[in-house]
Amino acid sequence: MASTKDAALARLLEHLSSAEPAAHPIKDYPTVRLSDPAEITKAAAFLKDELGFDYLEMITAVDWLGPMQLDGLAAARTAAHPFKETPLKADPPVTPAPGAGAAYRPVLDLLWSFGNLRENLKMFLRLEVPRDQAEVASLTALFPAADWQEREAFDLLGVRFLGHPNLTKILTTEDLAGHPLRKDYAHQKDRFDE
Amino acid sequence: MNKEALIVSEASMHTDTMFLNMGPQHPSTHGVLRLGLTVSGEVIAKAVPDVGYLHRGIEKLMETRTYNQGVVLADRLDYCSAMPNGLAICLAAEKLMAVTAPPRAQALRVLMCELNRIASHLIFMGTYGIDIGALTPFLYAFREREMILDLFEMCCGGRLTYNYMRLGGVSNDIDDNWIAKCREFLEFFKPRVDEYDTLLSFNPIFRSRTQDVGLISAQTAKAWGLSGPNLRGSGVNYDVRKSDPYCGYDRFDFNVPLGQTGSCWDRYYCRVQEMRQSVRIIEAALADIPAGEIMAKGLAKIPKPPAGEAYAHVEASRGDLGVFLASDGNAAPYRLHLRAPCFINLAVLQEILVGNKVADVVAILGSFDIVLGEVDR
Amino acid sequence: MNEQQPHLPLDGGASKPKPETAKPAAAAKASLPKPVLNHRSGKLLIGTRYWPTEVWKSPWSLPRYRAGALWLAGIILGIIGIGAAVGELAAWGDKLLVLMPKLGLPALAVAWIWVLIKLGCVIGVIVANGLWAVWWERKISAHIQSRFGPMYAGGFHGWAQTIFDTIKLLLKEDITPASADRVIHTLAPVITIAPCVMAFAPVLFGKELAAAKIDVGVLYIFAFAGISVIGIVMAGWASGNKYSLLGGLRAAAQMVSYELPRGFSVVPVIMFAGSLDLAVIDAAQAGYWFGFIPRWFVFYPVVGQIAFLFFLIASVAETNRTPFDIPEAESELVAGFHTEFSGMKWSMFFLTEYGYVLLSSFLLATFFLGGGAPLLPALKFIPSWIWMTGKAMSMMFVFLWFRWTFPRLRVDQLMDFNWKFLLPWSFANIALAGVVVWWGLK
Repeated sequence: MASTKDAALARLLEHLSSAEPAAHPIKDYPTVRLSDPAEITKAAAFLKDELGFDYLEMITAVDWLGPMQLDGLAAARTAAHPFKETPLKADPPVTPAPGAGAAYRPVLDLLWSFGNLRENLKMFLRLEVPRDQAEVASLTALFPAADWQEREAFDLLGVRFLGHPNLTKILTTEDLAGHPLRKDYAHQKDRFDE
Repeated sequence: MNKEALIVSEASMHTDTMFLNMGPQHPSTHGVLRLGLTVSGEVIAKAVPDVGYLHRGIEKLMETRTYNQGVVLADRLDYCSAMPNGLAICLAAEKLMAVTAPPRAQALRVLMCELNRIASHLIFMGTYGIDIGALTPFLYAFREREMILDLFEMCCGGRLTYNYMRLGGVSNDIDDNWIAKCREFLEFFKPRVDEYDTLLSFNPIFRSRTQDVGLISAQTAKAWGLSGPNLRGSGVNYDVRKSDPYCGYDRFDFNVPLGQTGSCWDRYYCRVQEMRQSVRIIEAALADIPAGEIMAKGLAKIPKPPAGEAYAHVEASRGDLGVFLASDGNAAPYRLHLRAPCFINLAVLQEILVGNKVADVVAILGSFDIVLGEVDR
Repeated sequence: MNEQQPHLPLDGGASKPKPETAKPAAAAKASLPKPVLNHRSGKLLIGTRYWPTEVWKSPWSLPRYRAGALWLAGIILGIIGIGAAVGELAAWGDKLLVLMPKLGLPALAVAWIWVLIKLGCVIGVIVANGLWAVWWERKISAHIQSRFGPMYAGGFHGWAQTIFDTIKLLLKEDITPASADRVIHTLAPVITIAPCVMAFAPVLFGKELAAAKIDVGVLYIFAFAGISVIGIVMAGWASGNKYSLLGGLRAAAQMVSYELPRGFSVVPVIMFAGSLDLAVIDAAQAGYWFGFIPRWFVFYPVVGQIAFLFFLIASVAETNRTPFDIPEAESELVAGFHTEFSGMKWSMFFLTEYGYVLLSSFLLATFFLGGGAPLLPALKFIPSWIWMTGKAMSMMFVFLWFRWTFPRLRVDQLMDFNWKFLLPWSFANIALAGVVVWWGLK
């Protein structure tokens, strides 16, 4: 058991070989960045069994490819003018690498959030996986809550969770091709379009 | 005659299960939820919840809209209690921008969120009564809810989707007339909660339908990531207003009602008790509303939070509503993920429905108080 | 801002302001609560003027009082409608029966015409009751729920609402689902309603006032009322819908089960009266103890009250009404056995339901509430059909009242309640009645 967030963070970092505190943490919360995808199960098990983080709060991911190209809408929409339809007076130029951890790069930045309800702690785990090889171990065996959230991340972002008992689409329709929350997603016209 | 031949064992009897498709058009799936039930007689052998019929891609839409436009979209998530949705987004963006709303705006946010919690729990109470077969509490609940909606209309013009929260504050101020009306409502409302107790909560039939049904242990509830009254009904003391206070909730004195067994009735009564606690909070908030501005100074019309990532969560009416926000310094969120409590609460159904009767499916599903707008986003 | 603009016309000020001396009503209007204005736009907010905090100044506007007033009004209207139709026309019928042979009609024709007239009366009562009970139920439900219910059709409190509803139902398309068994689907409502009409034959509408005098009237009614369940099972099965099937099966289980306590709870009454004939049971309750306590069976100590309550509960279950409306539980089974019925076929089921409610009300009045006997000896001048219909209507109010107050039981709870509670205790009640009869307390 860990009483403070710093103690929890220290114990987790000590236990894992490939982990380090994130250079740009989620604001106000302890954030650990893993570099080895194999360690996520180990980290989650340690958090749950040793540190009392038995509440899986959230699983999601960010696609850091860059601002999305709105395909098929307005030809004038470029990276410099992504919000043509919103009445902006002067579109600011989008910086290619905004800094603070938000550099555009072809990765999916996975995010897990664990809670320790008894001691009121929260811990974020980050892991980068390549966009074309987005695979990571599933946490369903440890946390049933991962079931639907992993399916959602698979559906919308195309992260394959290995070992998930039923990794199928959950929110989008069966005939929707692609993963809508990826930045290079282009809508394929289907029978529902006019 | 051979005595053996007369004995019909259960194994030798050929019985079939039946697939019962409940929803998406069904009176008590509370929207467009579909449950694929495999029933043996009236007992559930397997339950597969199917969601996504209302998926509008709100997270994707938000990536092309400014933050204040995102608040408009967020109102469409949990449309029964729209105030906390926008608040979560504003809080996340405010964290990135290192802005805090002025004290008066914070008090107004608390006031509106708690009023909306009452309105939302009233919908729950009414519709849950209908699920169990009591048709009358629904009308009583809507009578009171109508008054809350009138208060919202007086304040911001909206009755369902309010678009009230802004980055750095709120859109509209309240006046003395509003405060008087709100007090009038509270005076009217407080005895009504006791009336619901006599009419529905402690009705023997209602209790027998809900008391030992849909039991969720504290461990199961935590493992499946339940939040809000569904988690507290199982006796887990987790309320974001207490554990991670926002908007000055730590100023207010209120209790977190907890259930004991995690039954449908405990979840139901947690909500009824929460209405009483919300009344306490509103009364305290009305007693001293700080004077001053309702918007933070020096904010751009179209705010652009600096690059970075933030997470903010609020205790929405249905649970822990979290917003993970990744900004690249632009006028729109680079990525905005919503931890939708209804979506996560719903997943546990596949475990706890098995072994219950078809009639209990309705009781259990109703006790989760889902809003499909938030489940499917 | 509110002080400066006390009255803002709804059309935003386009209409001309009226002169002060135009009408005396203008002075009354000024005393109304001040309209609430949106502090920013200055627009009138209509909603807040109708808050119950402002409306509920008088306790008589509370829903429970309004429902109580509706109870009295309903009983009076029901007596005028059903009681007067049957009670006053009966005398004319007797004259007609005497007149017909004198006109030279053969005896067989007289018998047939006489049966047809009585059949017409019974069907008339059932149909009129359908119209009446639906309207009354809507008004009662509305007032219990602090609403008004139908207010416009016909003018006076929406009295014509159900008539227009019936016209709508008659004009509606009759849909038979593709997967339904056409013949049985069509036959089901007929088989449901026919026994209901037949069961009314020996029902007393007043002293000695029934369509047929049957010595085993009680058995006859229970026998025919039990047949309707076949129609309901047929409806559930033939619809080709799983919800309907579940509803039909639930109905079969429930109605067959509750017939037992319903029958057994009447046995004490039969023991006291010594007959299965409704007219004899009615007559046995005439007279008073100490000259003012009516000798109604419901006033027999313990036995009478238990029998009355059990018969009431079992009757509510037999008529598939809340808290026992499991076969048509709309939140679980959509509408149960009548999900796939529309138009007149659907209304047949409803006519049957309300027919059985009326039947149960009259039976409750006959068995336990003294039938046509007056409450006090001094009230003997009031005709027996007024007493009978009034008692039946107040029992009907109880049926409607239950529906809008209670939640619904679950299937297994319903069965447990029947087999583990109602049935054994109704047996015990028979034994108790035996003791009472033996001691000669009769």
